Amino acid sequence: MTRSSTRVPPILLLFVLVPLAVEGFWVFWPALQGFWLALTNWDGVSPPRFVGLGNYARMLDDPVFHTAATNTAIWLVLFGGLSAVGGLGLAVLLQKERRGVGVYRAALFVPVVFSLVATSLIWQVLYQPGGIFDSSPLADPDTAIYAVLVPALWRQVGYVMVLYLAGLKGIDPGLYEAATLDGATAWERFRHITWPQLGSVNSVVLSVIVIDSLRSFDVVWSMTRGGPYHSSELLSTYMYSTAFQSLKLGYASALAVVIFVLAFGVIVTYLVRAFREN
Amino acid sequence: MDRRHFLRVTAAAGAGLLVSGTASCATSASSGPVAQTAGTATIQSNLSAPAAKAAIDALVKAFNDKKGAQASVNTVASETFRTQLPSYLTSANPPDLFTWYPGALLKGYEEKGLLLDISDVWQTMGDYPQSFKTLSGRVFVPTTYYWWGFFYRKSHFAKWGVTPPKTWTEFVDLCEALQGKGVIPLGMGAGSDSPWTAAAWFDYFNIRVNGAPFHRELLAGRKRFDDPKVKAIFTPWREVLPYTDPNGTAIGFQEATTAMVQGRTGMLLTGAFFADAAPKDAIDDIDFFRFPIIDPNVPLAEEGPTDGFFASAKSPHVKELKEFLTYAATAEGQEVYIKASSGTVLPTHPGAKDSGTPLVQKGRAHLKEAAEITQFFNRDSSDALQPTADAALIRFLQQPDRLDAILADWQKAAQQVWSS
Repeated sequence: MTRSSTRVPPILLLFVLVPLAVEGFWVFWPALQGFWLALTNWDGVSPPRFVGLGNYARMLDDPVFHTAATNTAIWLVLFGGLSAVGGLGLAVLLQKERRGVGVYRAALFVPVVFSLVATSLIWQVLYQPGGIFDSSPLADPDTAIYAVLVPALWRQVGYVMVLYLAGLKGIDPGLYEAATLDGATAWERFRHITWPQLGSVNSVVLSVIVIDSLRSFDVVWSMTRGGPYHSSELLSTYMYSTAFQSLKLGYASALAVVIFVLAFGVIVTYLVRAFREN
Repeated sequence: MDRRHFLRVTAAAGAGLLVSGTASCATSASSGPVAQTAGTATIQSNLSAPAAKAAIDALVKAFNDKKGAQASVNTVASETFRTQLPSYLTSANPPDLFTWYPGALLKGYEEKGLLLDISDVWQTMGDYPQSFKTLSGRVFVPTTYYWWGFFYRKSHFAKWGVTPPKTWTEFVDLCEALQGKGVIPLGMGAGSDSPWTAAAWFDYFNIRVNGAPFHRELLAGRKRFDDPKVKAIFTPWREVLPYTDPNGTAIGFQEATTAMVQGRTGMLLTGAFFADAAPKDAIDDIDFFRFPIIDPNVPLAEEGPTDGFFASAKSPHVKELKEFLTYAATAEGQEVYIKASSGTVLPTHPGAKDSGTPLVQKGRAHLKEAAEITQFFNRDSSDALQPTADAALIRFLQQPDRLDAILADWQKAAQQVWSS
């Protein structure tokens, strides 16, 4: 190899560095400032006032934060768990090429194409009192969070299914043939071939569902705004209303930091484990 | 009129903001929204609903046609406007004028020196009543306002053989009569996207039972929500809860409007903007009556939310913007605005003609009779306090027996807002 072939052409460098600078200025730098703002009280107008860890201490004593954190945990488990299980199940079901299977795949993927806000509006109509239910489950503080979860899942399952379908396509059919010849049952084939072979897809799916559940916002905001009386509040909706309705930007930044740490924490832990296993 | 836009808030704007999450907190100050043209006053407007946008466009066109100073409008979705207002005002190159309403938020900005003193515009507004002057201080020019009341359809009331009540007893009797006819007497649209409409009930019970001065002190944080006087207003409210639409906390404002127009509910406590959303063929059939008097010894107060303009202290176009404000405050300017609007707003200029429909004329007289005008919960307090009211009042509608706990929680949440 000659020297010139390893040198990066300046134009390529430009293509990398300019977006990096833009990203750094408009995304990373403000995000870092978010960490600083989390240590202040700021109304968006007066200069921020440093309060140390006061915002975090306040969370411990804030009942709405507790509800939002609990709901976010419920959301993570149900939204993440059910969409992963459902997506995998559907992918396995629809994996084999046979007549009409494309129609089913497309039908399950269609909700992903719709804007989640439009989806929410349609589900809101379905939930309307006097429709399927006598009284709207969105208005009942005991059921609101689950009522919002359903349309979110309806969409996410199709997305996860596609990820798994792609993963399943990558598995060498020879492995299944060999297993069948050895007399393996369908469950054994799934347990010893499909599942281990899906390892890399699993880490993608995990990242996607953790990130998606922590940033779930539009569906909740457009259906309930976190109500009735904060019963369907997620950390994300609480952060938004704290920042832009109550104009408590310091406290809202602290909430954003919590969301960030949760998302980052879960994903890093998983990736570290995954790499170790490899 | 921001209430109206509240209804059309798109969660999409919110979603977009969330993605940038922490980012938008820090960068917003540099995202000033306008391109300044030399010699033209820029108006940042949240009047994004078609009728209201047409009205402000007509006003600006009439102003520009006078060939004096020039103005231009920059319309922003109301939710974006509300969330970005602090950054507009603190940016290096802010718009010159803003559509808004008087209240605690504006006072706060005034104290921080962000707003332009426009008291010389008020010099040209000598015939305005003192109440508008007090409300506006030195920084605001009111141009329109509207009224609240129980709206109903005349033909439905005639069919059911009932008449509008004046006193509380008559009101309860009316509810009972309607229920006897199989109609849900009181509509309510405090569901997911419009929980704030429940605050109208709170405001009215408070100004009817405790009076407007107490109401303002409460909302300003000088009284407590767990005060026995506040608790007392829920007694008459409880009395009419059995007559209130049981789905009132499940459906939104639009559905509640439809329910009333179609005669499934008898009446709806709402602002005059309601008539804009009602079908055209029903408009002439719509009438309203005053929220019934509960204690005749309490001076009559009504909600009369006021809208208008304020200016940024940093504006380089002081002469132009004052010329515009002066025009917007004239009878001529307001008549141009109202003619192009949907017509249910009232001009603040006492000599300006309103749209002249019987409904609007009645509304104007309705407010004139009041000794005190309140603005609305969020305007008399702040947009930050409104969510605490939403949470407490929706919970009261669903769990009226837990009033003590609700009021204690409300006070706690309100204190957090006031203390920050």
